[in-house]
Amino acid sequence: MMLQINFKSGKPVYLQVVDQIMAAAASGGLRAGEALPSIRPLAEELRVNRNTIAKAYGELESQGVIEIIPGKGCFLRAQESPLKKEARRSLLARQIDEAVVLAHHLQFSAGEFLELAGERVRLMDERKRVSDEKAGAAS
Amino acid sequence: MSAPKPVIEIDHLAYAYGSSEAVHDLSLSVAPGRCYGLFGRNGAGKTTTMKCLLGLLRPRSGRVRLFGLDPVADEVEVKRRLAYVPDQVAFYPWMSIRETLDYLASFRPHWNRDVERGLLERFQLDPGQRAAALSKGQRTQVALVAAVSPEPELLLLDEPTSGLDPIVRREFIETVIGAYQEGDPSRRTILVSTHLISEFEGLIDEFMIVDRGRSVMHMEADAARERFLRLRARLPGAAPAAGWGPVLRARQEGRDVELLVDGNGAEAAGMLRAAGAESVTSESLTLEEVFVAAMQAPRPEQEAK
Repeated sequence: MMLQINFKSGKPVYLQVVDQIMAAAASGGLRAGEALPSIRPLAEELRVNRNTIAKAYGELESQGVIEIIPGKGCFLRAQESPLKKEARRSLLARQIDEAVVLAHHLQFSAGEFLELAGERVRLMDERKRVSDEKAGAAS
Repeated sequence: MSAPKPVIEIDHLAYAYGSSEAVHDLSLSVAPGRCYGLFGRNGAGKTTTMKCLLGLLRPRSGRVRLFGLDPVADEVEVKRRLAYVPDQVAFYPWMSIRETLDYLASFRPHWNRDVERGLLERFQLDPGQRAAALSKGQRTQVALVAAVSPEPELLLLDEPTSGLDPIVRREFIETVIGAYQEGDPSRRTILVSTHLISEFEGLIDEFMIVDRGRSVMHMEADAARERFLRLRARLPGAAPAAGWGPVLRARQEGRDVELLVDGNGAEAAGMLRAAGAESVTSESLTLEEVFVAAMQAPRPEQEAK
């Protein structure tokens, strides 16, 4: 999994890591039980403060997305998230708000925005299905 | 829970070389585990501040404390717990790298031989080589090995990467992140002064911009990137005669407009749309761009006390 930090995005660096790992998990790019890069090499590679990565992983763990096993590493948990529905909702709402603001700037109407959102959901479902099939065929 | 005691406390520090004032009423505080950046042009007072922290210069007024201790009165205790990498590194020219490191280790209560071995390998340094034969980059690498191996609670870096080639600079920062930050995070604090800001961008939690000995701005890095934005838009016609209001900088070429804003991005985007802009894009300034904007911003000559 390749993470990328963009200092021009205006989003706190640790949140960029959190969101990218969650997106990878949602799209099937990262599968349950799969290991995440450990903190030190990832911090070195991205050239960001080690504490930033530790904070991101801590956040992912507290949200039940990953499991940190001391001495072994960090692993993606199975999909049934123990995270409370309310917390998951607010996480998603934060992302949607960003897109809504962008849509406004780019002068999309509410209807056009919702239509595009539906289209992206269908596309993502399709990608995840193909990815799961490949994984099934490989094992 | 009370806030942890700061590792560095600078309180209204002032220092002058003769009648020339180098640092004026500077205050800052660095909490344990943080990486604090001191940004300024050459001659802004960064090195003078570092030297006051190290007890090499005595403040004309104000107070500095490291680990709650006075760096002059408690020199031994303070120096035991920190390491310093200056921009110009000097070693005894007749000593080999091995002898240099053993000599420096003899002043330290603790020295991690594994860390030392790993870094010597990584930098491909030959322990038998004499210090006199080392390049500037290699001298900095040896200084970094000597600074990280004792696993100090505080790392003071004064323009550590200026004048080095890009590979050495890159390895330097990776070593600070990897080898130094590997330990207990509450005992790994960094103060780095630099004008090569973009290299340290990802490492910096919090920073201060100094100019002519004075603090111009201090802020959390994430907060700065949220506040300082560059908006770009294309207008249908000429810009409104009233201008763009409170923006840091406005630039216009034909129908293209670029605004730099500090904290009022939504308001400025609203103005652009009201002027009929087709699309408005926004991106954060990097810390280096924030620095440049802060240096170019007009300031009253005499700050109110």
